[in-house]
Amino acid sequence: MRIKEYLRKVEKGEILPSKEIPRIVEKLDKLNEKYSCFITLNKNPRITSKKGRLRGIPVVIKDCICTKGLRTTSGSKILENYFPVFNATIVKRIEEEGGIIVGKTSMDEFGFGTFCTNCAFNLPKNPHDITRSAGGSSGGAAVALAMSDLPLLSIAESTGGSISCPASFCGVYGLTPTYGLVSRYGLIDYSNSLDKIGVMGKSAWDCALGLSVIAGKDSNDQTSIGEEKDYTRFVNKKYIEKNISGKIIGVPKEYFGKGVDKQVKKIVMNAIKKYESLGAKIKEISLPYTKYALSAYYVIALAESSTNLSKFCGLRYGLATEIKGNADEYFSSVRTKGFGKEAKRRILLGTYIRMKGYRNKYYLKALKVRKLIIEDFKKAFEKCNVLMAPTMPFIAPKFNEIKSLTPAQQYASDILTVAPNLAGLPMINVPVGKINGMPVGLHIIGNHFEEGEILSFAGAIKW
Amino acid sequence: MVKIGLEIHVQLNTRTKLFCSCKNEASKKPNVNTCPICLGMPGSKPLINEEAIKKAIKIGLMLNLNFSKKMFFSRKSYFYPDLSKNYQITQYELPVGTQGYFLINVKGRIKKIRIRRIHIEEDPAQIIHVGGSITNAEYVLLDYNRSGVPLCEIVTEPDFESSEEVIIFMKKLLSYLQHIKVFDIRKCKWRCDVNVSIPKGNRSEIKNVGSFKGIKSAINYEIIRQESLINKGFEVKRETRHFNASTNTTELLRTKEEEIDYGYIFEPDLTSFELSSYIKDSEDNMPELPEEIIKRLIKEYKLSKNNAEILVQKDPLFVEFFEKCSKMYENKKKLSNWIVGDLFKCLNFQEKSLFESKIKPNDFVDFLNLMDSKKITERLGKELIKEYVEKGIPPRQLMNRKNLNLLSKKEILNVIEKVIKENPKSVKDYQEGKKIVIDFLIGEVMKKTRATADPKITRELLEKKLKNK
Ligand SMILES: [Zn+2]
Repeated sequence: MRIKEYLRKVEKGEILPSKEIPRIVEKLDKLNEKYSCFITLNKNPRITSKKGRLRGIPVVIKDCICTKGLRTTSGSKILENYFPVFNATIVKRIEEEGGIIVGKTSMDEFGFGTFCTNCAFNLPKNPHDITRSAGGSSGGAAVALAMSDLPLLSIAESTGGSISCPASFCGVYGLTPTYGLVSRYGLIDYSNSLDKIGVMGKSAWDCALGLSVIAGKDSNDQTSIGEEKDYTRFVNKKYIEKNISGKIIGVPKEYFGKGVDKQVKKIVMNAIKKYESLGAKIKEISLPYTKYALSAYYVIALAESSTNLSKFCGLRYGLATEIKGNADEYFSSVRTKGFGKEAKRRILLGTYIRMKGYRNKYYLKALKVRKLIIEDFKKAFEKCNVLMAPTMPFIAPKFNEIKSLTPAQQYASDILTVAPNLAGLPMINVPVGKINGMPVGLHIIGNHFEEGEILSFAGAIKW
Repeated sequence: MVKIGLEIHVQLNTRTKLFCSCKNEASKKPNVNTCPICLGMPGSKPLINEEAIKKAIKIGLMLNLNFSKKMFFSRKSYFYPDLSKNYQITQYELPVGTQGYFLINVKGRIKKIRIRRIHIEEDPAQIIHVGGSITNAEYVLLDYNRSGVPLCEIVTEPDFESSEEVIIFMKKLLSYLQHIKVFDIRKCKWRCDVNVSIPKGNRSEIKNVGSFKGIKSAINYEIIRQESLINKGFEVKRETRHFNASTNTTELLRTKEEEIDYGYIFEPDLTSFELSSYIKDSEDNMPELPEEIIKRLIKEYKLSKNNAEILVQKDPLFVEFFEKCSKMYENKKKLSNWIVGDLFKCLNFQEKSLFESKIKPNDFVDFLNLMDSKKITERLGKELIKEYVEKGIPPRQLMNRKNLNLLSKKEILNVIEKVIKENPKSVKDYQEGKKIVIDFLIGEVMKKTRATADPKITRELLEKKLKNK
């Protein structure tokens, strides 16, 4: 059942959330055995009778977002038994609108991964083929939607592509909003200047509904800006008809280069061409700084994340070990035990690039490159209304294929998603086709705060 | 020539902490003024306290700084149990302001001390060593009431040449900080890192010295240590040292090679801040600086320069106290003399600040009026003010309680008779021409009357009586 229909039935009294939610949780519990998309399933959710925009809708939340009293691990052993003392702003907003938090979805530890294989707990499996990756780092968030036709809304988070990638691999819609549009208060940070909380759904309308609830300035997050809006009006049929015609779609040639699977290119190009039939124009453009995006992204993300992870030291919360030796020795023993391999790698790399002698060479330079990349996009949006490209260069790989990739090769899979993430632009993955039964995603990238525009394009064509 | 530079940390007297809305207040109970932000809980984000920015800018105005157009915060990373996030939010590249100066008076000579920069940062939690000192405590406890309290760090150029100059600077600085109402000596802590170097040597940095006495001992010890190294032909290495207050010496903490690399990055949870509107606000609300207050006191109240200076130097509350009293009392000279004289003396003796004593302008003026209307003698006044400072009971109440109203002539005469009877030898001496003895006899009358006899009347009556004998 679609969310729209579910809402209508709740409204009419045909569905009673107090009866329906436990049934849904039970089903999710069963499905979870096969797909492991939840780290924590909320078996006794607070069922409110609030008549908001999410009245009675079951919502699942990526596990890096704090839910008061409901276990929140951020996918790490170091927070295995952490129960937050406060709700993230977006959780508050969802509950105020009548949404019901039914589970916390699995993820790469602290968001560190492209394939959701750097997990401290069970790996989520792609519902289209359980021998394949769900994509990362919001793998669980996408799987929870793709594994059934339950009317779920899924809240995810992206730093460098963590919403787009799993949405693409699992064949769902995944909206990453403009940096700052959604409050990060209560998000366990990966890289604060890049982190964005967004929405996954089974349609553009679902994403628009979710965004309407969570977007808007929050006094608890100094970097949050933007107004509250009803985004569902942008996916209204009449609005779409008027909107698309005459618009210019930029197709960056760098996003169709080497490393992008031929069949993926073909399916995505065909999808873009469909917009021509709705009156849009296609224009090839160039984003020359694209080739520096990956390095700049990883430098900034790791520098920030290596400081964010410092707080996990076994003093006030999280994993603790036997107290032995001095403070440094104790911290080391907790962190050695609590962090996974990829987290450790990123702490080491991130600390290295902040050190004297390297700071100028890497960290400060990456910040400059970031500005150039933003300029690149600015110029592009002077000529185009939206940009379109493949979301991921290939379909979801098999777990055994991933094992043979080096960390650098894994990082390179983010090539198409990191640049718009660095620039803080809104983007949405639209499932537009399949290769051997595995979904292929079209990436629609918009200018800052143009969520309405990309939603309208995403909603224009039913696939 | 010795070169000394300071890095001074002062806690700002803001209502709330730097990045959260917890009270900026010491408490006997540990960990009561805390929240997810100052405890560094996952998911919490800092929020700037604008009051701290405005107060830091006031310090900048006082120190004649060039302000940055924009400032932002940085993360200074190091692992230490008192740091709730294992990084401190501070300022690195673009602080509040740079390149200012502060003038001090060294034995009549005006000396300019250059200020390199000031910036804002958060104070860590407090570590409480249980069952010993930092080196031998059984265990430590952490109190996060202090975690996130705003600090302003003031960094000087190495312009001091002696510990005396440093002390003069620090005393003036702390007094000025109180006058511009950003620092409260009763609640806010301060501490200093002191850099000392002598010719042919590298500088050493002495961390966390928290008293004038400590500063003096640390600098003087450090100069001798470095000189003796050089005299013996050794190198003075660049190092960080710690001041041991019990031995008045400095001890090695770490050498240059062991310096921590703080790996600064920009604080991504806080946006950058345009300072122009804050500067305007602080300029508009900038309190009078001490030299302006002194000029005004002399002009408006005709005070002596000396009295005006003492009033200002002591504690900003004295100026306020003086001005409140002077609204109710005409003789400003007498008023300032009593404040600068007996009131100061008694407070010093009791080691109390004006704030701690319960002295109120109303009662103080009433007390002066009692003397003016001859209800009490000055001598009694000097006795009463001691008790006033000590017990906080206003002089009029003390008088009534002790029945200390001035005696009538008849009552004085009665006492004089007694004194004459008890001191026949003195009476005899007087009558034989040793007139000076009369002072002793007056003193005896005062003792017996607890200074409630008017000394002038007593002398007249006594002289008359002795002549008649
Ligand atoms: Zn707090």
